[in-house]
Amino acid sequence: MEILVPVWPAPNTARPPKTRPRSLMGARLALVDDNLDIPFTTRLEALLGERHGAKVERLVKPSGTAPSPSDLVDAAAGAHAAIVGIGL
Amino acid sequence: MNLVSESLSLDDYEQAVELFFERGWTDGLPVVLPTRKRVEALIAYAGRDPQSSLGPVPPKGGDATIEKLAINAVMGGCRPEHFPVVLAAMEAMMDPAHNLNGVSQTTHMCVSLVIVNGPIARELNFNSRDGVFGNGYRANAAVGRAVRLALWNLGGAVPWDTDKSTLSHPGEYAFCIAEEEEDNPWRPLHVERGCPAGSDAVTVFACEGPHSIFCYGTPEEMLHVLADSMCSLGNNNMHVMGQTLVTLNPLNAEEFAKRGWSKQDVRQYLWEHARRPLSDVRACGVVHEQFRKMERDAGRYPLRYDLDNPTTRLPVTPSPEDIHIVVAGGRSYFAAVLPGWGGFGGFAVTRPIVRPKR
Repeated sequence: MEILVPVWPAPNTARPPKTRPRSLMGARLALVDDNLDIPFTTRLEALLGERHGAKVERLVKPSGTAPSPSDLVDAAAGAHAAIVGIGL
Repeated sequence: MNLVSESLSLDDYEQAVELFFERGWTDGLPVVLPTRKRVEALIAYAGRDPQSSLGPVPPKGGDATIEKLAINAVMGGCRPEHFPVVLAAMEAMMDPAHNLNGVSQTTHMCVSLVIVNGPIARELNFNSRDGVFGNGYRANAAVGRAVRLALWNLGGAVPWDTDKSTLSHPGEYAFCIAEEEEDNPWRPLHVERGCPAGSDAVTVFACEGPHSIFCYGTPEEMLHVLADSMCSLGNNNMHVMGQTLVTLNPLNAEEFAKRGWSKQDVRQYLWEHARRPLSDVRACGVVHEQFRKMERDAGRYPLRYDLDNPTTRLPVTPSPEDIHIVVAGGRSYFAAVLPGWGGFGGFAVTRPIVRPKR
């Protein structure tokens, strides 16, 4: 009997990782704000700049429980590094 | 029929069934084997292009082509005539308003309930009466499981992987009911939500399992019990609002209607009385408080409630319309409340069931 497979084949092309910045000093960081804990994220943004000299671009998701919009993902991808997954 | 899915040639039935477990293609129960013949029968019945797609299924984004959905529907036990109901349910779940991405991955234990309305429910023998949330009816079980298998195999909503539900509930196997429309004095759910009377539709709503409510007596007595049960402090609704579902049995609904209560009257009463004082809610602790504050800071919590006044009585939903009421079950003295995920999503979405042209 012929059985049909219920899944799609797994993609076999993984993207190469970006080169990690050697230091936060002067690095452009994308801070993806999940819109869940705003005071925490605001404090983190300040500390990254004040203590570590990072240039932080805060990118706010419309909702912490929905995927990031593609333009937000593109903007984060343009930074040296991105901080994601800020929940509770 | 031109199908693009990889196929396997297997002669041994037991080997084929076990293969689905080994490859992680099933949810813990054996499946009906998706033979080409069965899959083609579903696609042919629906009259849809097998390569047309409903879009990527969150969270992992597998393409929901008609072909892949048909394979998963066969696995769930669907006959061809069930398939249009599966397609409508998937369309509804994939509407951004439902936030399937969040529903599939949250630590909360909500699962998307499928509610079938219209003549098709009776024609296909969906259960809307005694034991409606339970077992015993192929249509409820097969459509419910087909949807879950599609989320499993195309969305990758798998526990220990992307599905982070802390406890979940058995509706992860199948969670599908029909509304009782004949023994029901009110307009059915889908008509309230804008569908023409007499049409077929599916509504999805992400919620907990049904919580039994001993609901008998005068309208005021029934509402007293229901309102108390809806605003339990463990509900997400009580902290971040969102939507909730009340299932009244036909005898409950008849009692309300005999005394002149419309469904909207019941909804309004519940919204006004299913409330807790802010001091009660605050006593739950700082984490609950933080949730509420986050929602308020993000602009998702109605600001008309004075959160600095401990005597403020907080409702379970932002508006009466966020309380969904369905009539189903046996004529008895039990109703059910099914709290939602809260303001994060899982909101009710209704889609028409498109019957094939004959």
